[in-house]
Amino acid sequence: MASAAVAGRAFARSLTSQSFARCARPQVLRLRAPASRTFAASARAFEKKYTEDHEWIELSSDKKTGTIGVSAYAAKALGDVVYVELPSVDLEVSAGESIGAVESVKSASDIMTPVSGKIVEANAVLEDKPGTINQSPEDEGWLAKIEVADAAEIEGLMDAEAYSAFTEQADS
Amino acid sequence: MIFRIPACRASLGIRLSPAARLHARCYSTPASLNHLNAKVQSYTSTSSDPYLNLSIEHHLLQTSPPDSAVLFLYTNRPSIIIGRNQNPWLEVNLALLNATSNQTAHHVLPSTGLSSPVDLVRRRSGGGTVFHDSGNVNWTVISPSAAFTRDKHAEMVVRALRSHGISRARVNERHDVVLDQGQKSASSATNLSPEDTHATPYQDPALRPLKVSGSAYKLTRARALHHGTCLLNSPNLNVIPHYLHSPAKPFITARGVESVSSPVGNILLENEKFEDGVREHFAGMYGEPEGGVIEVGEDWLEVEGVRKGVDELKSLEWTYLQTPQFTFSSRGTADAPVDRLPGDHDAPLVEFTARYGVVTQCNVQLTPDSPSIGDGLIGKRLHEIADWTEVLAQPESGSHHGSRWAQVTEYLQRALPRV
Repeated sequence: MASAAVAGRAFARSLTSQSFARCARPQVLRLRAPASRTFAASARAFEKKYTEDHEWIELSSDKKTGTIGVSAYAAKALGDVVYVELPSVDLEVSAGESIGAVESVKSASDIMTPVSGKIVEANAVLEDKPGTINQSPEDEGWLAKIEVADAAEIEGLMDAEAYSAFTEQADS
Repeated sequence: MIFRIPACRASLGIRLSPAARLHARCYSTPASLNHLNAKVQSYTSTSSDPYLNLSIEHHLLQTSPPDSAVLFLYTNRPSIIIGRNQNPWLEVNLALLNATSNQTAHHVLPSTGLSSPVDLVRRRSGGGTVFHDSGNVNWTVISPSAAFTRDKHAEMVVRALRSHGISRARVNERHDVVLDQGQKSASSATNLSPEDTHATPYQDPALRPLKVSGSAYKLTRARALHHGTCLLNSPNLNVIPHYLHSPAKPFITARGVESVSSPVGNILLENEKFEDGVREHFAGMYGEPEGGVIEVGEDWLEVEGVRKGVDELKSLEWTYLQTPQFTFSSRGTADAPVDRLPGDHDAPLVEFTARYGVVTQCNVQLTPDSPSIGDGLIGKRLHEIADWTEVLAQPESGSHHGSRWAQVTEYLQRALPRV
């Protein structure tokens, strides 16, 4: 797990620099082998990542935009969502800053962005149908799309397996 | 240390008597801040300022260690506290807030029984609107979110109340504390465990319980803040409904959170006894607080985060511009249509949409065929409209629409008064 995360970060960095010299570890070079390059790149880019704040982010195929939402685990813990405060478009945020809030069962909870960037779209469906977050938290209930400032930030997050282990630990 | 003392004078001097100022100077770095890193902390406020108390509470949420438990007790002067995502025009009779100085308010309600203005505060937690005064003690528990449930501290309050003989108290399905109103049932009394904080022998399906404590929550990644009111001996129960009844309610369709109104009652227990009971049961759950019970108050205005919190909560932008989108229509809501403006099929019409407190769409027609006179309303902040005759274009003198214009502006002035 640890080595995969390191490889991931180095790989993402090499995507922007287009330089092999920055990749210190041999396994990164293997990932960059011509035959597997396209496949490895897209598989990694499409993988959904999770934060300890229970948000998820998924990169678009051009890796410039990320879609953000709250995890199914969080949606269940929140209970019936009755209001969603959406971020405004063009809002510039740093990783960990609030990009919105939800109210459920008398509880106000902030939603944090997993990565830095600029908000390019908010999910207007949630204005009229906030319960979409409960019905489809990791698909139709997405909160916002962000123009990602540094794709490397995403690689440091948990994959589905690691997040599942994280929530099981929190519940125990 | 040296340059903190003048700062303390500057910010506190205007409010406090010389003796009190001297006292405050001693705490220019409040000694009560010394226990912010403790595992178990217990605070009681000496202030009745709702803005300050809510900001101290928020500061405790933000700064206490992730694994700590914090109790905070405070009592506010008369104030209306709306939830984070509520609409003040829908929840509150805004004309009454300045009842002592406001002629309209005198007209609507000759005597509110309250001699000073009532503060309107939007808090940071979710939930509905509540009225605070000297007969209501607010209790807050901040604890790790991992072990949190929405009932656990309401149950703590019920145990505290029962320890003072309030045996009718229980937690209901909305996480509130209610007093059951029935006769004691012998059969259920024998079947019920005294430890069951969700049932009493006084439950009677025919008699609605009285709500005495409402819950609201603010959740962050590691921490859960649960606060509640506790109505012990409010002198204002008869006037509270007037304050919480908005004249605009029949005309508003709102996103966000609408309050659920419940019959309320006083527990008739002294504030100090309730506070002692809550402290005891809090210690029973989390252990004895380090440093004992710590008094906090105006000296915490020295803390930057608290002072900024107070400034934000006091701002009209926070109170009014944080309102979720809503529409106002003189024809009422889809669920309950009304004809507020008389005239059958050719009645005047007022419709607008306000997004975050600013009018974004508007249609005001004096007759069905006439153009809208409401263009001047678009872009206006609703809470800044003092006089509706100034924002709606007046028909030319001699126009037969003059009386309709007067009718529309008077209607709006009543429904959406100056705040």
